[in-house]
Amino acid sequence: MDAAEYAQLFLTESREHVTAVNQALLELERGASRPEAAGAVDAIFRAVHTIKGMAGAMGYTGVAELSHALETVLDRVRRQELPLGGVLMETLFHAADVLEQRVEAAVRDGDGPPPATLMASLRGFGEAQPETDTSTWAIPSGDTASWQIPDRDTSAWAVPDRDTAAWQIPATERGRLVRVRIAADTPLRGVRAFLVIQAVSKIGEVASVEPPLEQLQAERFGEHFTFRLLTDADVATIERTVRSAGDVAQVSIEDGAVATGAALRPPGASSGTRPSQDRTRHVRIDVRRLDNLMNLIGELVTVRGRLTRIATEQGDQTLEEPVLQASRLITELRDEITASRLVPVSNMFDRFPRVVRDAARAAGKSAELVVDGKDIELDRSMLDEIAGSIVHLLRNAVDHGIEPAEVRRAAGKSEAGRIQLQASRDRSAIVIKVSDDGGGIDRERVLQRAKRDGLVDAQKTDLTDDDLLRLLARPGFSTADRVTELSGRGVGVDAVYTRVRALGGAMSIRSEPGNGTTVMIRLPVTLAIVRALLARVADETYAIPLAHVSGTVELEPELVRTVKGREVLLLRDDVLPLLRLRSLVGLPPYEQRGAIDLEQAVVIDLGDRRAGLVIDELTAQDEIVVKPYDATREGLPFFGGATLLGDGRPSLIVDVSSLL
Amino acid sequence: MSQTVLICDDAIFMRTLVRDILLQAGFEVIGEAETGVEAVAKYQQLHPDLVTMDIVMPDMGGIDAVRQICKADPDARILMCSAMGQQALVVEAIQAGAKDFVVKPFQPSRVLEAVQRVLA
Repeated sequence: MDAAEYAQLFLTESREHVTAVNQALLELERGASRPEAAGAVDAIFRAVHTIKGMAGAMGYTGVAELSHALETVLDRVRRQELPLGGVLMETLFHAADVLEQRVEAAVRDGDGPPPATLMASLRGFGEAQPETDTSTWAIPSGDTASWQIPDRDTSAWAVPDRDTAAWQIPATERGRLVRVRIAADTPLRGVRAFLVIQAVSKIGEVASVEPPLEQLQAERFGEHFTFRLLTDADVATIERTVRSAGDVAQVSIEDGAVATGAALRPPGASSGTRPSQDRTRHVRIDVRRLDNLMNLIGELVTVRGRLTRIATEQGDQTLEEPVLQASRLITELRDEITASRLVPVSNMFDRFPRVVRDAARAAGKSAELVVDGKDIELDRSMLDEIAGSIVHLLRNAVDHGIEPAEVRRAAGKSEAGRIQLQASRDRSAIVIKVSDDGGGIDRERVLQRAKRDGLVDAQKTDLTDDDLLRLLARPGFSTADRVTELSGRGVGVDAVYTRVRALGGAMSIRSEPGNGTTVMIRLPVTLAIVRALLARVADETYAIPLAHVSGTVELEPELVRTVKGREVLLLRDDVLPLLRLRSLVGLPPYEQRGAIDLEQAVVIDLGDRRAGLVIDELTAQDEIVVKPYDATREGLPFFGGATLLGDGRPSLIVDVSSLL
Repeated sequence: MSQTVLICDDAIFMRTLVRDILLQAGFEVIGEAETGVEAVAKYQQLHPDLVTMDIVMPDMGGIDAVRQICKADPDARILMCSAMGQQALVVEAIQAGAKDFVVKPFQPSRVLEAVQRVLA
């Protein structure tokens, strides 16, 4: 969500809260002594408090200040320290109006300071009377109604004795003396100190806290606080425990042994929350930083292509060598960056058993999920992108695949359905399979529906697996009669198919009546960089991802036959359909310029489907950086992206799955 | 494994803010609650790995919600979301069973650090 969207959300929600404030004010005005009045004050308080929080997050300090002043007054009202008189009511109404204006203005023109006169009068009402008994500030446990305590009055933080009794252990000289410094910029340092004490009390007995805990909590301490800890734990454990409370800048334990680590880091760095020994092994990195690295290395890979090409053309030995070296280093760098983005699929798969269980429960069925290949690694963004689709397939398997228990029993199957989710690696691709042992897709119904919609020939009596995928992947095509809660209205396969295609992947379906359905998804390991064959057709260059290439052949005339009006390629014992890229992109046929000037064919494959793709000439094999490209909008559906070649020219990436 | 979160705050704005921060970090937000009562109910229903809890909410505040959640599940991992000046309440929430806190306005790095501590 970007800043403008947040601002919009802030505006919408603040308006609602201002409306609530006004309604409650009207209610108060009707009768401040009525029982509903207390609720009305609470309601105003909450609304104003919420606006304050949101304004703070938006950086609208003017709005936040105004809300805070208003909040302070309201707090006194609900403590019944301040009677709700006519003047106060007027001020509150006025304040609500001003608050509304400031909110609108902040979003429209930027934040500004609230009107001084209003602030002065609010402050006047907000001032605590000098004779105020501090005991009224004590926290009544469980009563959140009187929670707010004015910031400036620190004496108010006193906590009733009963809450601290546990800490008042007789001072002792035994135990280790621990001295802790909380980072200066820590919000609510007092509470942080309290968390430190709470954490260490789990590994030992805490004695003689200095300054005393009440003062600590009230944030009345300087840079440091100290305590004695009676424990068997070693120094490292104590330090780790202290730091586990967070925002601890420095810990020293007994005989002056200062535990450094975080203390040496420059100000502004995120505060040290882990023991120093962990830091050398793991660093948490913002995903956006990884994305940037990936983009940068992508561009570097493109430039490398150009550089290598120039060096080769120049034929200059002194240039070629460093270029070769740089090229190798870039490859290593790319591999490292790619690897740093890989996460095991278990990151995601581990939550699927629950998905299947819930889906099965909702469908009144029984099903178990078996997961294989959890260690297979995939780019983190890719995993995020595909997760929803896998959930969809799993739910489909439960809802439409697994039969009801009585049907399964009658078919001699175990009552509980079995769904298998499997990840495996195949060359540079990752294959994810979702299989069920259910009844299989009802081809007859799909066929009927397809005929009704005029999608297949009326004479057709049988559907192949490929037909099935083609039909099911049509937007809105559904045979589900009953809308199930989880998989929606049968809109599923098409959404999954579109997503997989958008990720540069491919999908196939195998379904056997009575034996279940398997959906197979092939994905590149990373979204960004793939190895590809570069193929020339006329003066255009196209990229064919290597993940889908099983070989190349010179198109000798005797390898080509025509069967039933269609060209086929004879490849050893196989007969493959032959596709000509020239005719696909609307170019005139190839003109042979001599006996040896043959066209070439790239054997593309996807699972067990294969075809020969005829091109003019293979020019290179290279790494390409995939840039998104909306194929459907551009008209030609068999391109799955675009890339920039080493010489800076754009090239379209062939989407093998759409050709097969 | 992506961990699951229940976000409790009466303001959509704050929930969105927290959700964006946590989604960025790879968490899965499986539920949101607008009141303390709802927070307790959703916790029991969803069993999230983490709960972020606003202190001031209508229909049972955050501290009572923490108390109820922790009574049923002492291992619940709850992160309090507080405003400046609420130290006494935050202390109370921690005594009720909350594990850590963050202070509004939220800085994503601080929120994530606190989340790591809560889940540690």
